[in-house]
Amino acid sequence: MSIKKITKQAFANFIDNLIKTATVYGVQPKGERFDFAPLASAKDLRLDYDVTLLPPKRFFQPTTETLLTFDGEGRYKSNFDNENFILLGVHPYDMVAINQMDKIFSKDYYDEHYMKRRNNATIIACDVLTPSENVFAASMGMATVSEGFDILLTDIGDGYVAEAGTEKGNALLAKAETTDANEKDLEKRQKLQQDNQKNLNKHKLKCKPSDIPNLLERAYKHPVWEEKAKTCFSCGSCNTVCPTCYCFNVQDSFNWDLKSGKRQRTWDGCLLDGFTKVAGEHEFRSNRADRFRHRFYRKGKYVPEKLNGQISCVGCGRCVGACLPDIANPVKVFNRLVDDLGLL
Amino acid sequence: MSNKPRVAVFDFACCEGCQLQIVNLEEEILDLIGAVDVVEWREAMSEQSSNYDVAIIEGSITRPEDEERLWLIRSRAKVLIALGACATIGGINKLKNNFDLRDVKKWVYGKDAEKPHLNTELTRSVAQVVKVDYLIHGCPIDRKEFTYIMRCILTGKKPEIPEWPVCVECKLKDNRCLWETGQTCLGPIIRAGCGARCPSSGFRCFGCRGYVNNPNINAAKDVIERYGLDVEVLKRKMNLFGSGNTQVTANG
Ligand code: SF4
Ligand code: SF4
Ligand code: SF4
Ligand code: SF4
Ligand code: SF4
Repeated sequence: MSIKKITKQAFANFIDNLIKTATVYGVQPKGERFDFAPLASAKDLRLDYDVTLLPPKRFFQPTTETLLTFDGEGRYKSNFDNENFILLGVHPYDMVAINQMDKIFSKDYYDEHYMKRRNNATIIACDVLTPSENVFAASMGMATVSEGFDILLTDIGDGYVAEAGTEKGNALLAKAETTDANEKDLEKRQKLQQDNQKNLNKHKLKCKPSDIPNLLERAYKHPVWEEKAKTCFSCGSCNTVCPTCYCFNVQDSFNWDLKSGKRQRTWDGCLLDGFTKVAGEHEFRSNRADRFRHRFYRKGKYVPEKLNGQISCVGCGRCVGACLPDIANPVKVFNRLVDDLGLL
Repeated sequence: MSNKPRVAVFDFACCEGCQLQIVNLEEEILDLIGAVDVVEWREAMSEQSSNYDVAIIEGSITRPEDEERLWLIRSRAKVLIALGACATIGGINKLKNNFDLRDVKKWVYGKDAEKPHLNTELTRSVAQVVKVDYLIHGCPIDRKEFTYIMRCILTGKKPEIPEWPVCVECKLKDNRCLWETGQTCLGPIIRAGCGARCPSSGFRCFGCRGYVNNPNINAAKDVIERYGLDVEVLKRKMNLFGSGNTQVTANG
């Protein structure tokens, strides 16, 4: 696949042309923070952003979606989103998270609702220019990304290096006015990526990510869960802002004819009271500390078992900032375990 | 006589804002009226009835005669619904419980304060007086949630009312947390279901839907201190809706 260089002016023209025919969600300011929102003009785009409020997962797994409608006579109709769209400005750690979710939603059970949206999407990723306050993607080895995107942009000052990762990306890039990236452009890109692999590291993990599953294997009864959970609100913010949390709750509701209705699913979170409530009102993880611990085991052990060992925390740092009592930071918890239990 | 459930609406101490939400249901009001027989509703009709299946109670209980009337309604109704914060948690009327009742009467009624018909007691929610089957939270209630719960009752399905705090809906709306801007938002300990109405328009949650089932008050104190605020500040903020806020359990 080709690696091109595109000047900033040519890039702006390219985007403004795209907007005319396609739905583009690009990163833009929202108050003092950033967010993916429908893009009206290339000049609104902020590829120098630090981190978005919510991760881009909501474009594939909406916060609430209607799965099907039923008529009450035994007939039902599945509901799918068929719109093609472009997601512009996905950071590498979020791209890694999307790659992980793609596996989760297609491997054991093929989730058509998720996968339809995913296949309808074109992802233009971009390397990080401004590290966020809490990012630690470097510690997780996820500060840069080599797959999953259709196009990857790297800002090298006088323009972007644009690498197509798929045929779809290649075809899209062909619509832009580009030149082949030369040696110097590629050196600049490599420098920026190497810097990010060091610098996107506001919290430093004291072990390799691959040490985490074993660490957790020995930590089930460690006091840290109880200690930290003492000030846990069970507010689920560490779940809702996380690009690799994917739990959902399915609920039916009736229309006013009291027989037809719809089935919807909404985001859920393992920290929430009532999360594990199953039929018969039996709650098997009702204790706050158990729920608190569960999240770390999901990220560091259970989900990695489904992902060939890849840790399911990409180090975006969102949960760190979102947790008011400051107990959700995975690095702090894992480092504490390293200190107390050592590495084997 | 039809076999539709007979519904009666009653109000106690409140501003009637929640009933107004029902009146303002627009097209859905016709669906509601089509599905039930409304037999008493002071705000909307002149008829009265002592024969009803479902009683919807708005307002809090502040006088001995209120309590008697509420007991009577309870004995007649198969299903009793507490409508709005005044009924579910005592609401804004509970403010007065923080003061000496004699002072409160003087502030409100001046020289008439001691007249017998202005007698007042400590404010209680409906659930503190009688058994409540469904709680419809909020000040005022959310219309969508009201119609959802009504349809659940009519179909015999248990309504799913969030047990988690407002922060969940707030995050789903992609809001920036108000704590970052120095506002002491009560979202982390207050029951969701309003769609994070207040934080989404830039105002802190003041707790009108009452606490979640297990509010972590220690965590709230911890956070208050971390943000360099005074625990007393939080207490004052909670007073608006939270004072004496009791844990009530009901189907709703
Ligand atoms: S760890 Fe923090 S963000 Fe997560 S539920 Fe507890 S208080 Fe909320
Ligand atoms: S656990 Fe926290 S840092 Fe890790 S991916 Fe989730 S939100 Fe980001
Ligand atoms: S809950 Fe609020 S809106 Fe409803 S009656 Fe009471 S004061 Fe009025
Ligand atoms: S603004 Fe309030 S409701 Fe929203 S996340 Fe912050 S504390 Fe929670
Ligand atoms: S945000 Fe809080 S105060 Fe506002 S409506 Fe919701 S529960 Fe009530």
